[in-house]
Order: sequence, then structure tokens, then C-alpha cells
Amino acid sequence: MSSFSVKNVNQIFGTGTAEVHVLHDVNFEAEPSTLSLIMGPSGSGKSTFLSIVGGLLTPTSGTVEVNGLSYNERSKKERDALRLDSIGFVLQAYHLLPYLTVADQFKLVDKIKPQGNLSREALTDVLETLGIKDLLNKYPGELSGGQQQRVAIARALYPDPAIILADEPTAALDSARVAIIVKLLKDLAVKHHKAVVVVTHDGRLVDSADRLYEMKDGYLTKSTPEVSR
Amino acid sequence: MFLALKEIKKEKFRSGLIVAMIVLIGYLIFILTSLALGLAQQNTDAINSWDAKQITLNSNANVDMRQSFLTKKQVGHLSRQEALIGETSVVAKAKSHKQLSAVFLGLNNNQFVYQNLNLVDGHRVTNSHELVVDTAFKQEGYKLGSQFKLNGDNHKYTIVGFIKNAKLNIAPVVYGQMNDWKSLRAITVGPVGSAVVSRDASYKNNANGAKTYTKQQVVDKLPGYQAQNSTFILMIGFLMVISLIIIAVFLYILTMQKLPNYAVLRAQGVPSKVLVGATISQSVLLVVSGLIVATLFTVITAWIIPANVPMAFDIPVLGGVGVGLLVMAMIGGLIPIKSVVSVDPVSVIGG
Repeated sequence: MSSFSVKNVNQIFGTGTAEVHVLHDVNFEAEPSTLSLIMGPSGSGKSTFLSIVGGLLTPTSGTVEVNGLSYNERSKKERDALRLDSIGFVLQAYHLLPYLTVADQFKLVDKIKPQGNLSREALTDVLETLGIKDLLNKYPGELSGGQQQRVAIARALYPDPAIILADEPTAALDSARVAIIVKLLKDLAVKHHKAVVVVTHDGRLVDSADRLYEMKDGYLTKSTPEVSR
Repeated sequence: MFLALKEIKKEKFRSGLIVAMIVLIGYLIFILTSLALGLAQQNTDAINSWDAKQITLNSNANVDMRQSFLTKKQVGHLSRQEALIGETSVVAKAKSHKQLSAVFLGLNNNQFVYQNLNLVDGHRVTNSHELVVDTAFKQEGYKLGSQFKLNGDNHKYTIVGFIKNAKLNIAPVVYGQMNDWKSLRAITVGPVGSAVVSRDASYKNNANGAKTYTKQQVVDKLPGYQAQNSTFILMIGFLMVISLIIIAVFLYILTMQKLPNYAVLRAQGVPSKVLVGATISQSVLLVVSGLIVATLFTVITAWIIPANVPMAFDIPVLGGVGVGLLVMAMIGGLIPIKSVVSVDPVSVIGG
């Protein structure tokens, strides 16, 4: 059974001469234990796709089903709850709250969602893997861009979501860190049975993908490592 | 609350500036309120101490005791609930003291106003040219037995008692005998007093040329009383509105800076109510902190301020003003809420 499915989704912004058809009949399925990679240049519709899949944007037509239920059948509150419980966003603009230490970023999740988050041990493992265990008492302003990105990844994983949507998760990282992040995402898919979807134009991730797609001018098609690299 | 506390802890300087602003506004409002209360009380202390409900004056006196003269016929028969009062402005003059403006109130020994005088020192007036005076005289160095002249009267008056909070129209009151009032006003025939005060709310004097007013009507017509109160109310009201605007502007700027972060939180499923709660609790925390410090400053001020400064620190009234400021801050804090609620999480996708 798929974690989520996208059926015949179209997204049009604007009207008349200003109309832009961003997504064309997009179909997609993300399954547990799978790392799906969507490659494509800037402006190809990747971010719009991610916004629709995450329930942040309602498509012009088509449906997105998560856990067997369409977003159309869920209230705004239910969509919020779904994102909090089941979807982990790893965003390119990580925007950690500047007045919370790294430890407090996780405490905030505990305040909003007291149950179902990673155990203390599991969180420590994630922090160690990402190399940020010693940064718990630091504020985001005291971290480098790469460190902030890794904190944002840990923050997204902490609620233990079934689906992980990552938007350019390696944009601010060097090759050594990219390898660590890719391994982490791969482990989350394989060992923890998450459905991981990464949109990126970073070719260094191609070899790790279980499924590879290409987004071009709003059309999503299956791809191969040779084409995407 | 968690987010608000963490932000205040991290942004100490910025939060400190806002709190400092609220401290200054709160302190100013508290002091102005105390001053307004003090002045209002000093206008009416004497009248309030009589426990009078109704006051009869000459109908042509423009509801002003100082301008009123009542004849024996207009005064009529007085029961135990009524008392005759003679009022006139005087200047106390003594060689070793500076001149002091005061209000002379002549009383009859057998009437309730005289009998209910609550002295802090000495005894009531029993003879002509004896006075019971407000403690303001004490602050000017007068003692029991001190003597001074009133206006152009050649006779010396002797202080036989002190009474606290006896002020009328901000001037200290000197209580004496009715004959002395006549002497001070150079009355030989005709008027017997300025006003009849009654403890009976149903008292009415229908004599020709006399008119009965409620105590509040007389108080409201005290010279400058209404203008003074209106000015203070206007100033306090303006300060309240200014505090609202300041808090709203600060919170608006702070909130606008946080919107990208809030958008991420919304994308991650954090409900709007958490973010709204953080914004409101931040304003409450800042304002309450500011008000606590302002209250401390006010307490210190009340402690060290000279006794002759007309200020009254009424805790229920100041508490009400504090709550008013808090409500204003809440309203100010609500202004940026619309931006928080309508933050677009899509804006953070795609960098």
C-alpha cells in the first residue's frame, strides 16, 4: 500500500494571459521503504509538487491521497494534524527559530505533539549521525549554514513521520556531509520503512535513489540514473 | 508561553527596551492617576468628612458655598440631621511663618458637623478665636497654641486642635465658631451662614431664595474641579492609547520579522493557535513585567514623596489602571495576529 498517491494533478496559477500551467497531469506514488528522487531544474514545478503533496497547496485539479484519504476530505485542522504527525518537511530555507537553542527546537515539538516522537536514544543516534550532538545548547545564529541544515533535518525527523518530503536537503552541504545525509535518508527508508521523497537538482544523490523521476516544464516522468546524472 | 519566554530570554536587549517603555508609560500613568486622585480628594476632603447628602445654598450663589449667604428665614428650623456652615477664604498670617491661604468654616457647637470632627491632636473649639486646623498647618511649623491673624482681623486666633485631611478646594480648612465667621465677613445683620448641610438624603429647603443641591452637584461646581479632573482623565486616556500604539508597533515589527519562521512551523503542521498564543503571551509577559517595575517605582515614589504633594495612592484605582493598560496591550498584541494567522506556508517551499 502506498504512503501517498498523486493522481492526475494539474496546477494552474493566474488567469487569462497571466495563466501559468505549472503541473500537467502529474501521477506519483510513494511507498514505504522507498527513497524517491525527483530531479529537475529550477522552475520545473518541483516545489509546487512538494507543496501539493504536503497539503499546503490545493491543486487546480486531481487528488492527493495520504493514508488512503484525500486532502479534499480533510479539514484544514486535520491537514495540520496530518503534517504534524505523518509528514516531515526538510526545507531548503531551513528557518530555524532564531531564539530557540537546538535542544529547544525539539522541545517545541514535544510541547505541540507530546507523544509519538523519537525516543531520547533514537534522537541521540540521529544527532550523532548528523554530527550535531554537541550543538544542543547553540542558537541557530551560532551555527554555520550546513549545521543549521542538519539541525533542520533532525527537527523534521524528530516527530517520527511516516513520510519525509525533502526540498533540496543537501543544498548547503559539502560532499562529505552530502554522503552522511544521503545515508541517513536511505536508512530512514530502508530500516525505518519511511516513504522518502527528495526534490533536488543535486546529481550527487542519484545513486541512492530507489526510484528516479524527472520534472520538466511541469511534466513528471520516470527517469534513469544515466539521464538524471 | 514556551516560545514567548524563550524569545524574551534570547532577545534580552530588545525585550528590555519594550519593558522600559512600558515601565515609563505605566509609571507616568500611575503618578498622574495618583496626582488626579490626590487633587480630587483635596478638593472634597472636608465635604466628604461631613457625610452630608444634601446642601442648601442661596439660589443666586451659582452653587458655590463661598458666594452663598443664607438668612435666618432661609435657614429655617434645623433638625439634628442638619448643620449650618459659614464659609470664607482667609489668609493666615504669623510673624514666624509664611502666609498660608485657607478656608474658614464656621460651625455651631451643637450641630453634627462640629460634633463629628475627628481630631488627631488637641480639642474642639469651645471659645471665640479658637481654631481646629488642617495638619497642613503642622507641616508649616504651627503647633497647638500657635497664634496667628486671619485677613485684616486684629484679633489673634489660637490653634486648639489639628484635623487630618480637612481640605476644601485644595486649601487647608480652619474650623472656628460661627460668630468668628460673621466677624471675618463683617456681617452684623442679615445672613447667618453660607450653607445648610444635611445627612438626610430627603432633606429639601423650599425657602424663598434658597435651593437644595446634592453633595455631588456642589462638588462638581467647585472652582476648577471639573476642569482639573477632565484634564487628568484626558491625559491618562491619551497615555493609554499611546501605550497601545507602542506595544502594537513593537509587536508588529517583531512578528513581521518572525513570519518566515512561522511559515516553516505552519508547513510542519504547527497550528496557528500556537503561534497566536505565543504572540499574545509575549505581549502579556512584557506588559506585566513593565507594570510590576512601574508599580515598584510608584511604591518608592509614594514612600519618599513629601507629604505636601497632593498625591493619593489608591490601590484599587491603580490596580484598575494597571488592568486597563494590560487590556490595551492585549488589544495592541492582537493587531499583528492577522498576519500570523494568514502566514502562507507555501512561501517557504523552494527556498
